[in-house]
Amino acid sequence: MTADVVAEWQDRIRAAAAARTPLAIVGGGTKAFYGNPTAGELLDTRACAGIVDYEPTELVLVARAGTPLAEIEQRLADAGQMLAFEPPHFGPGATLGGVVAAGLSGPRRPWGGAVRDLVLGLSVVDGHGTLLRFGGRVMKNVAGFDATRLMVGALGTLGVITEVALKCLPVPRCDATRAFECGADAAIQMTNDWSARGLPLSATCYWRGTLAVRLSGAEPAVVQAMRTLGGTSVDNATSFWASVREQTHDFFADGARTGDALWRLSVGATSPHAGLGGEQLIEWGGALRWLWQPSSIDAATVRQRAAQAHGHATLFRGSDAVRVAHGTFAPLPAPLHAIHERLKATFDPARILNRDRLYAGL
Amino acid sequence: MSLSFDPAAVRARPSTETVAALVGTLARDYGERAVTSHAIREQHSHGEGLADPALPDVVVYPQSNEEVAAVVRLCNAARVPVVAFGVGTSLEGHVAALYGGVCVDLSQMNRVLEVNADDLDCRVQAGVTREQLNAELKGTGLFFPIDPGANATLGGMTATRASGTNAVRYGTMRENVLGLTVVTAEGNIVRTGGRARKSSAGYDLTRLYVGNEGTLGIITEVQVRLYGIPESIVAAVCQFPDLGSATRTVITAMQLGIPVARIELLDDVQMDACIRYSKLEGYAARPTLFFEFHGTESATREQADLMQQIASEHGGSAFQWASAAEERSKLWKARHNAYYAALALKPGVQAFATDACVPISRLADCLLETRADVEREGMTAPIVGHVGDGNFHLVLLFDPHDPADRARAEAIAQRVSERAIRMGGTCTGEHGIGVHKLDALVREHGDAVDLMRRIKRALDPHNILNPGKTVPLTRG
Repeated sequence: MTADVVAEWQDRIRAAAAARTPLAIVGGGTKAFYGNPTAGELLDTRACAGIVDYEPTELVLVARAGTPLAEIEQRLADAGQMLAFEPPHFGPGATLGGVVAAGLSGPRRPWGGAVRDLVLGLSVVDGHGTLLRFGGRVMKNVAGFDATRLMVGALGTLGVITEVALKCLPVPRCDATRAFECGADAAIQMTNDWSARGLPLSATCYWRGTLAVRLSGAEPAVVQAMRTLGGTSVDNATSFWASVREQTHDFFADGARTGDALWRLSVGATSPHAGLGGEQLIEWGGALRWLWQPSSIDAATVRQRAAQAHGHATLFRGSDAVRVAHGTFAPLPAPLHAIHERLKATFDPARILNRDRLYAGL
Repeated sequence: MSLSFDPAAVRARPSTETVAALVGTLARDYGERAVTSHAIREQHSHGEGLADPALPDVVVYPQSNEEVAAVVRLCNAARVPVVAFGVGTSLEGHVAALYGGVCVDLSQMNRVLEVNADDLDCRVQAGVTREQLNAELKGTGLFFPIDPGANATLGGMTATRASGTNAVRYGTMRENVLGLTVVTAEGNIVRTGGRARKSSAGYDLTRLYVGNEGTLGIITEVQVRLYGIPESIVAAVCQFPDLGSATRTVITAMQLGIPVARIELLDDVQMDACIRYSKLEGYAARPTLFFEFHGTESATREQADLMQQIASEHGGSAFQWASAAEERSKLWKARHNAYYAALALKPGVQAFATDACVPISRLADCLLETRADVEREGMTAPIVGHVGDGNFHLVLLFDPHDPADRARAEAIAQRVSERAIRMGGTCTGEHGIGVHKLDALVREHGDAVDLMRRIKRALDPHNILNPGKTVPLTRG
């Protein structure tokens, strides 16, 4: 039945390519806010769903793109395993395909790996309507170009993902969260020191004078690290980290009510707090900063500040008009943009797949 | 090895006149840094594998990104092949200049450009070697963990997506490269990624260039992650009655999430070779696991105790410990010398290694079938494996004066690749495709090879970058 669905998509994509009809690829629609607005006939990936193979001893799960993320996480949890990149759902219907296409990782990312590190292989239908399979089910694979990683974060502009093989990891045997009252720069300094010393950090979050640090691992290692770190205990740590991951934390909820735009700054971890343009929620030991800015602000200024901090700024949430005006993603230097155009032409010469969503014209 | 396509159909040697004109320009621009002596060209005609050597017409030693770009622009304009070269430790014929042309030797681009100790990263020129980087990091408390054995350059390790004995804990080059400077086929200098953990906006070009084997661009600078030197490092050796019990031990450990830094398997034949070659005392010629644990004192103790318990349950011997630095280094030296130890088993032989990687649940099956195949053919072929990743090497010894012996060895190697692919794995976990595994790539990836071919054509339209490698451009 699923083979039929994929064959149907192939036919549809071939026809759309011939007619130059844009297609908008949608799973649960939970990340529709992310990326530039795109228009086109709906291609709903949820028809291609289900866990194809999961062998806990193998630490590998293979599922079709339309499978709900919640279903996958439940199945893993039943076997004491997890997706170490803690992908945000951003809504009840999030699908695996959307997780991979968006390429977004959660609080554990600097220590547990990113989406791209834990996707072992995938199948996609490209813009020619050809079903392609990349990678496999093993961690180490150097057979040919790494097309698997190209799909992660491409927002569906290179192909429609049909199936994904993921590396899973055992849930740590022990978790503990400690809190510290401190300034932003002190928080950044401390978390980087601890990380360099090999302490078992698995998440950090700083906001308004409080640093929260999660430790994960074997019990003796976590207990020893707690002694080293000090700090105070945190109530409801599980729901706290879920609120950071799902952006239901007060920082996000309060900002969303103002009509401002949410910026995601990916910067050098030790970049000072000042100079990035306002109050930030700081994750990943300093490498990820969230920042609300008025929609009227000059996007170039935000991006320049991020570039000075050795990184880049993404207009993560904002009205359609703001995203169209500024583009979700920082503009690329001309030679890099040219490479993007050539890759797009290789996968999707008719430019029918999620046109404009990553960059205008792509 | 026979190939089912003809690389010459899409790439011919440039004419003598074209080459002579280009060599003249390079000699004018680079003086003594453009070398045409036979000895130097021969030295740049092969890596460490079995490749039949193929000499470049000239070897150039650029000292900057701009010089690399200028050389590539000349080659692109003249349609002359250009092959990047680090120190020549690749194993699958990656650096052989199949169609002559220019070899760009990056060994004079060997500066560590910046160390950002607080951010746990550094930026180096492509010609910096792994040992040089770790020597320069002395005093920072940091180290670069990826260790393929050879003292390869960071550029070469990036271009081949290298890994090694501690990938199970620290990952491979794929996970550890943060950003790159690359010279494109047109001679543009582009920067991908950077110091930010999340790669730059847009497609993940960093990952596309990691493992491109010099066929999509020439890597000139690499930004890599660094790690704190662990407070405690403990190594241990455990011997097993058979291969199955050793691999079951590994599976259990991975499933429990024990963060072992290295788990290396040596089968009885390899252990026998190592005992003799490296004068290891107190061990039997039996399947053996080498372990290493990194972390705080309490963490390594806990990991090692748990590991010992698992091994005992699967019939493993009591651990023999090596905590002092000298003991550890003797042990790992023996492991890294496994190839030479294997060669010493039969004087006068040559050897090459397979590189299959399979899902860990199939590892025992794959090893046992392979062992039976080797015995059926009456060959000598020890096995070493990075078993935490399901990756193992069969070191096939053959008589270089006996073509039938070499053919038997190659046939076994081909069956190992096929077996791994059939079991859901890959023909190459870390050595790469180069020129030797083009056929296996087609078997493994089918239609996706067409796409790789299109990517190659899109980024290198005149096929000047390391032609004849990584992706077969035409199918016979």
